[in-house]
Amino acid sequence: MNPLFDTQLQDTLKGVFRLVVPEIALIGTACVVFLFGCILNRRWLWFTVSFLGVILAMILAGTVKTHTPELLTSASIVPDATANFIRWVALISAAVLLFISWPEVSRSTAAEYYGCLLVAVAGASLVGRANDLITLFLALELISIPTYILLYLPVRTKLNQEAAGKYFLLSVMSSAVMLFGFSYLYGLTGSTNLAVITDTLTKANSETLSPMALVGIVLFIGGIGFKITAVPFHFYAPDVYEGGPGGVVAMLAVLPKLAGFVALARVLGLVGGDTRHIPFDANTQLPLLLWILAILTITLGNVLALLQDNIRRMLAYSSVAHGGYMLIGIVVACSIPDATGVMTRSDGATKVIGPSVGGIDALFVYIVAYGLMTFGAFAVILYLSTPERQVDSIDDLAGIGQTHPISAGTMAIFLFSLIGLPLTAGFAGKLMLFMGAFTAPADTATMRNLYRLLAVVAAVNAAIGAYYYLRVIGVMYLRTALKPIQSSRAAPTLIGAMVLAGATLFFGFYPQPLVNAARKAAPVPEIPVTITADAK
Amino acid sequence: MEKISEIVASPVTNRTLLLLLVLVPFLSAFFVSLFGRSSRRIALTLAFVHLGLTFFVVVLGTMHLNVRAEGTSSRTTDIVRFHPTFIPGDTAGKSGEDGRTGWTLMRLTDAPTSANRSGPYVQFFIGMDGLNLWLVALSSIMLIPAILVSWESVKTRPGAFYAWMFFLQGAAIGAFLSFDVILFYVFFELTLIPAFFLIGRWGEGSARRDAARKFFLYTLAGSLLTLIGVLGVVVTNPDPTTGQITFSLPDLMANVQHWLKVAHDEALAGKPEKLASLHTTQMWLFIAMMAGFMVKVPIWPFHTWQPAAYGEAPIGVTILLAALLAKLGTFGILRFVLTLLPDAAIMYGLPVVGSFAAFGIVYAALCAYAQRDMKLMIAYSSVSHLGFLVLAIFAFNAEGLSGSVLHMVNHGLSTGAVFALLAFLLDRYRTTQMSQYGGMMGRFPNFAVLAFILCLASIGLPGLNNFVSEMLMLAGLFHADVPHGHHYTLAFIAAFSIFLSSWYIMTMLQKVFFSPLKEPLPADPETTVPASDVSRREVFAFGSLAGLCLLLGLYPQPILDSLKTDVKALTQIGNGARARVKGEPVPVESATPPVSTANPTPPPKIVPKKGGGGKKDRKDAKGGGGEEEE
Repeated sequence: MNPLFDTQLQDTLKGVFRLVVPEIALIGTACVVFLFGCILNRRWLWFTVSFLGVILAMILAGTVKTHTPELLTSASIVPDATANFIRWVALISAAVLLFISWPEVSRSTAAEYYGCLLVAVAGASLVGRANDLITLFLALELISIPTYILLYLPVRTKLNQEAAGKYFLLSVMSSAVMLFGFSYLYGLTGSTNLAVITDTLTKANSETLSPMALVGIVLFIGGIGFKITAVPFHFYAPDVYEGGPGGVVAMLAVLPKLAGFVALARVLGLVGGDTRHIPFDANTQLPLLLWILAILTITLGNVLALLQDNIRRMLAYSSVAHGGYMLIGIVVACSIPDATGVMTRSDGATKVIGPSVGGIDALFVYIVAYGLMTFGAFAVILYLSTPERQVDSIDDLAGIGQTHPISAGTMAIFLFSLIGLPLTAGFAGKLMLFMGAFTAPADTATMRNLYRLLAVVAAVNAAIGAYYYLRVIGVMYLRTALKPIQSSRAAPTLIGAMVLAGATLFFGFYPQPLVNAARKAAPVPEIPVTITADAK
Repeated sequence: MEKISEIVASPVTNRTLLLLLVLVPFLSAFFVSLFGRSSRRIALTLAFVHLGLTFFVVVLGTMHLNVRAEGTSSRTTDIVRFHPTFIPGDTAGKSGEDGRTGWTLMRLTDAPTSANRSGPYVQFFIGMDGLNLWLVALSSIMLIPAILVSWESVKTRPGAFYAWMFFLQGAAIGAFLSFDVILFYVFFELTLIPAFFLIGRWGEGSARRDAARKFFLYTLAGSLLTLIGVLGVVVTNPDPTTGQITFSLPDLMANVQHWLKVAHDEALAGKPEKLASLHTTQMWLFIAMMAGFMVKVPIWPFHTWQPAAYGEAPIGVTILLAALLAKLGTFGILRFVLTLLPDAAIMYGLPVVGSFAAFGIVYAALCAYAQRDMKLMIAYSSVSHLGFLVLAIFAFNAEGLSGSVLHMVNHGLSTGAVFALLAFLLDRYRTTQMSQYGGMMGRFPNFAVLAFILCLASIGLPGLNNFVSEMLMLAGLFHADVPHGHHYTLAFIAAFSIFLSSWYIMTMLQKVFFSPLKEPLPADPETTVPASDVSRREVFAFGSLAGLCLLLGLYPQPILDSLKTDVKALTQIGNGARARVKGEPVPVESATPPVSTANPTPPPKIVPKKGGGGKKDRKDAKGGGGEEEE
């Protein structure tokens, strides 16, 4: 039959629009904002319109019924649980970002600012549901392009200019590298559809390993490495974080990471479909490559953060380090194909159990926790900065424990969460990741005890990280102000920071809702158990 | 009347009381922080409220434990577990005790909870047993002197100061009561935040910020490794029937024993590989887990944060640090290392950690002697005493274990009290330099009497509390049965430490109290009124502690009785581990009632009656220790 008349195919292609209604709403709002922003530029007006747009997208995301396309192999969008999780994280981030960026949005550029923000959020949400290399690439660019504009909007100083220029050039280059990798994957499998690609490669792998596929995936990891600030690709981060406007930097610290990690997980076949069969051999270099990347990222990020006096640069390196922690989740997920449960039972009954943590679920918990504390930390910095006096160096925060108790208190909560102290969301995330690294099998040929070593390295690094976070807390509470700082009196930012602090504490006390959501988004696969006879 | 007793004894009351014991300090912290100058009175009242609650729990708890000790003495199983009671959220509901809680904080499984109750759940699992009951009581008691000695000295933001003190107390109590390994870790680390602010903001010296930071980072680095160790134990010991991991300590320790037993049986049948690999795993996990506890105790060479922190902290906080937080380390070893890594505790406990501890005992004692500042001297003496305590824990037998639990309480009381004595001097003269004082005996006769009692208690004079526990610990050490046994050497060093401690304490007493009168400048330079002797507030602060020291010295039996069951369980684990390490079959007989019930009790029955002479006829260990003191 002519594929053009295949009703399944037609349904699949027609059904795509239903799957992206909230994103359409976001971009539609953005268009309205861009268009009428030329006529009337008012901060509160476009803030309200954008906020309503986000609310509308949330309502649509909650109400529009979707069903999985009939032909997964030709659908470019999949509405699976992972996609929904990413969408909600993106939408909530959008609402938070609208609030915390309040003080830095100027009257003349308000419409552009909010419009770009909405487009970037729509892009992040689309990455979560892309099932096609082209869609994936477009969605990633949908995050990057508005970011260039956002970084350029308030350019006044050389520092701003450097940040914008650097980000633009490196981002374009990373996209090119990624596209190059995609071309390999397309050339090998003859399709741009991710379901087809993973299927074909998985089948091919069961016989022999294709070095070309490995080249493609390595190039893709290189491209994504830029988004998730993995170590050899992290160089832009400190300069951009230092020079860029606070709200944009907060967005930059979270949304590309969210998108990058979910794209990585999708292309590596770690979410959706059968995670016990992945398009590369879990015994070979790829887990090892990711392992090395994770170790380098955690260690270098933390060590370099020790040396910073500028709080934004410090947060940049800390975000590099946190990217490394999240990579642990990916590394652990790669081990799932090798995982076996060994059971000793006298009755010899077969029992199927899953590992308690699958890696990707830990990653999702961590990225939400990371989003909360990063947004929060930048919100406090934004709140305390005024156009006349920016909060740049850590010493600028001296004594705010006395002068600005609420800002200092929320900042302390975010910093404790970044350290990973108990009763904060950061601890729940770290606990899940460490558990994951320990659940990974320790008896495979290549990796052996490396997963456990990863947990130890991460723990040691968490202690190193505590040093520079604690330094900020010490400055805030144990010193007196040299020059008392004025706050910007931006109520939305402060409210945003307080809500974020509340959420950080809530998920620290009771992480169950978050863990449930993450486990739903990335179910831990069931693993057959080898039964050995009981000694008795 | 019947009804009242029913309500009082009902499980629901017990559970509520225990929950309140953890919650009240946190609520008090919040409440106190709302007040300014008047907060100290409110803080004191709230501390007494908490003490009242603790009193009820102790009374109900001892009754319960004694009943249990009689009820279970005939029960023998190969796998022993802790039996916490008074658990809030007990799954048995209102009717009785189930020993598990239903209050889950985080579930790492999609399976429903009801089917099988042990699973990968992080739970709010707190409970009471013989090992933690008295430490909780100690935590409740010690806050009162800590508040009383801060009465005059804390001028800046007293509301926040007392709030953090309550926070610290709550976190310590939570850690003592936890029966979930992750929950323990949560409370264990939670103590860092209040301690950091208390030292850093209200500290006395110029280096207080560095001290606070050092304390925080050092402890955090250690305890993160402890977390890794704990997770390692959790992951490598799933439930033998369901294959699920568990975070609940009683279940986990049962799993650990099961897998060891399986491997041991194989080893006895001629296939030692599995046991050997388990032992290797245990060694790594032991290193990881001990890292945090060795820092917290602290054991040489990880003690460097401690003199700085104790020295810089305001004196009230030092009392809490020395009395409570140091005990978290020793308690962690007792509760978690011994039960989860028993074989490694036998193999590396005394030989490796014990050697560090023994070296630290002597080293810290010499450091203490060399100090000019009394505060630092007591800080070093604490390192020395706690090294002894850790040695006794790793002796892993009934005498050593019951002695060490008792000594945790005793050391908390006496060291806390000695720090409180310094507060008396600090309030009047603002210095603790030994060289500035002299002839205080004539100047403050009442103070001198109390100081003598407490210092002698700290040395371990017969009739005072530390004597009983130190003798038990020594007996445990001499009796220790470990491979590579140089336990006689260790026991000798431990006994020698008692002599060393009397040496430096007596030197201090002589310099401060007996030489010709020498007074430093008064704290308030304008005042013309000479400093007065012990005020009523101070009598309460350390006079009551002196009374408690005397009481526990003369009659420690209630504490030892309530420990019996749990010490027996630990001893049984120890015997099993010893057999595995030696490659012998587990001595089943030694775990049965006649021998083991006899083990923990006899020594103290004779010791405490009269302080002076009647102890030499007991074991050689006691005779040796006693002579050195007199």
